[in-house]
Amino acid sequence: MSEEGNQIEEFEQIDFLKDRHVRFFQRSLQVLPERYSSLETTRLTIVFFALSGLDVLDALHVIDKDNMIEWIYSLQVLPTEDESNMQRCGFRGSSHIGLPYSSKGPGTAHPYDSGHIAMTYTGLASLLLLGDDLSRVNKRACLTGLKALQLEDGSFYAVPEGSENDMRFIYCAACICYMLDDWSGMDIHKAIEYIRRSMSYDNGIGQGAGLESHGGSTFCAVASLRLMGRLEETLSERELDRIRRWCIMRQQTGFHGRPNKPVDTCYSFWVGATLELLDVFQYTNYEKNRNYILSTQDRLVGGFAKWPDSHPDPLHAYFGLCGLSLLGEPELMKVHPALNVTQRAFQHLQQLQQAWRDNVSSCT
Amino acid sequence: MSGLEASSNEALELKEEKDFDVELEGNPDFDYRHDPFEYLFYRDRKEWSDLEPVPQDDGPNPVVRIAYSEKFTDVFDYFRALLKNDEKSERAFTLTAEAIELNAANYTVWHYRRVLLQALEKDLRQEMRYITAIIEEQPKNYQVWHHRRMVVEWLSDPSEELEFIADILSQDAKNYHAWQHRQWVIQEYKLWDSELEFVERLLEEDVRNNSAWNQRHFVISHTTGYSDPAILDREVQYCLCQIRKAPHNESVWNYLKGILQDRGLSSHPGLLERVLELKETQCSPYLLAFLVDSYEDALETNNTRATLNQAQEVCALLAQVKDTIRREYWLFLGRSLESKYGPTAAPQSDAAPSDAADQQELS
Repeated sequence: MSEEGNQIEEFEQIDFLKDRHVRFFQRSLQVLPERYSSLETTRLTIVFFALSGLDVLDALHVIDKDNMIEWIYSLQVLPTEDESNMQRCGFRGSSHIGLPYSSKGPGTAHPYDSGHIAMTYTGLASLLLLGDDLSRVNKRACLTGLKALQLEDGSFYAVPEGSENDMRFIYCAACICYMLDDWSGMDIHKAIEYIRRSMSYDNGIGQGAGLESHGGSTFCAVASLRLMGRLEETLSERELDRIRRWCIMRQQTGFHGRPNKPVDTCYSFWVGATLELLDVFQYTNYEKNRNYILSTQDRLVGGFAKWPDSHPDPLHAYFGLCGLSLLGEPELMKVHPALNVTQRAFQHLQQLQQAWRDNVSSCT
Repeated sequence: MSGLEASSNEALELKEEKDFDVELEGNPDFDYRHDPFEYLFYRDRKEWSDLEPVPQDDGPNPVVRIAYSEKFTDVFDYFRALLKNDEKSERAFTLTAEAIELNAANYTVWHYRRVLLQALEKDLRQEMRYITAIIEEQPKNYQVWHHRRMVVEWLSDPSEELEFIADILSQDAKNYHAWQHRQWVIQEYKLWDSELEFVERLLEEDVRNNSAWNQRHFVISHTTGYSDPAILDREVQYCLCQIRKAPHNESVWNYLKGILQDRGLSSHPGLLERVLELKETQCSPYLLAFLVDSYEDALETNNTRATLNQAQEVCALLAQVKDTIRREYWLFLGRSLESKYGPTAAPQSDAAPSDAADQQELS
């Protein structure tokens, strides 16, 4: 009797509720209550979590892709007629500035309208996974806007008006250049120097020099180097081994982001993907990781939370799924560990870039 | 919904009454922003009637739309109007505070507030008091910390920072924003003098606070450095002392390894022996990992079968008993060590050639 009871309990804890998550993301894409108001300026990142989440669930068919693509393009900060705002171009997080809706150029002059590096990154990634060909992206403007954000020390601001600067935005910049297949948007050498200076005495990587090593910034650094194609030439085999060790020590059941901190579902991706990029994810404990992620699943509402019995949110729902995908969860699509989109979206990007190169060579 | 309508009607009535009550209007204590019966939307305030509110426009198919209340929408519709005109006025400055209260994560509002702080030559000391209060309420928000940094820079006055950050850390000793701000202040204004003392206090409260250990490294590496053998030994002794008190602590072992690894883990005299002693009574996966790394360090300069065997033994202990969650990793590490050092390892003095071959087989 008790064995049966245990079996039922185990079953309840660790079954993956695919349909609930599809509905969770669908709902996220519709309307959120006012208590989510702090997400206003970052709404495009929420869109990315939901869309990429649906992509990982192989459920993009539930949304209207064309409408979505139009809305995303409406967030592009395009050059004005006189191109005086080139250094402010990119994508906005939302319509919060109050410009009239428009999904085509030229841009409207506004004293405070600029792109945000994380929105340019997630905007491009979202268009890509929706199957768009990026033909309406003003690449030159995006790259000019990106270049204007890089600081002397190699790191990036989020917006031209100024903001904090750290490893997160180096990752955003690397993704943008990678997707647009154009590294003129950043000084790679300076960025690499910033990354090296952010390596900690304990062999993890912090948000900047001297700062505590952290699973998120370690992912951003390693994934950026991989996207730049500079991982093996920047870090010696000994350094790579040390980073591997730091990352693998993050597993407790699931993963935490820093020594002596509690585990959190999203680190199953941040640290898991880093381990995958370093070829040692295979040596982690899959069962404990999977069990932890599923313990944070919201069985009623769908999605995942950072901890069990906590409220789910789009970020943890997305990274929970990505964490499961790394583990080879049957119903999930594979995720590219550096670019953080499905392998399918990644292949679409490769085809696009091939076509761009073919066009260039056929013109010359 | 009806509640909202009722209160705005009441507010309208009261406003009409107030038109005749000059004293009440001039009363500085009267703050109708927080009184639900008195609150007036900006669209109904006559001092704002010159401004045309600007709504948000998400087009025909909005995505991730947030359902704002009437009050929220009203405030931000007027914020957007000010922004469009780039208005530099006292009323604009006042409105930014209200917008911040509704959404402190809106970086555009903060930027605009900074523009106004400068254009209107506002009292930056007062702004420090303001941002102090906001950070206390929302210590994990990026924008508030960035704003504080800007004000401190404008004032060139870091004198309140260490105490303020200490207070935030007393509520959450690992707040990354707080530590980041602290490192910036210390480095920018050279406030190193009492930081090691601060770190030690925190480590006394919680020896497992990884942020504090990181700060320890930050302070020492930027002041005395670790080159002086007296300093290095002091730190090693400090670590061993903390290990004895709380053996299961990754942070102290990471710190110990971190300060020694580039000089060679096996180079610090007597350390290996101390660690082997600790292994008996204060063992932990971190101690054993340190041992493996020490053996590997020794192998780099003196590759012997004996040392390699010792390393393998510890890997096996970790994989099978002491750190089983990382079983596959420790086995992998064992294999890596074997393939890297095995083929050229100096044989054990009393081992016959066939024994050495058998040992390679087994691992």
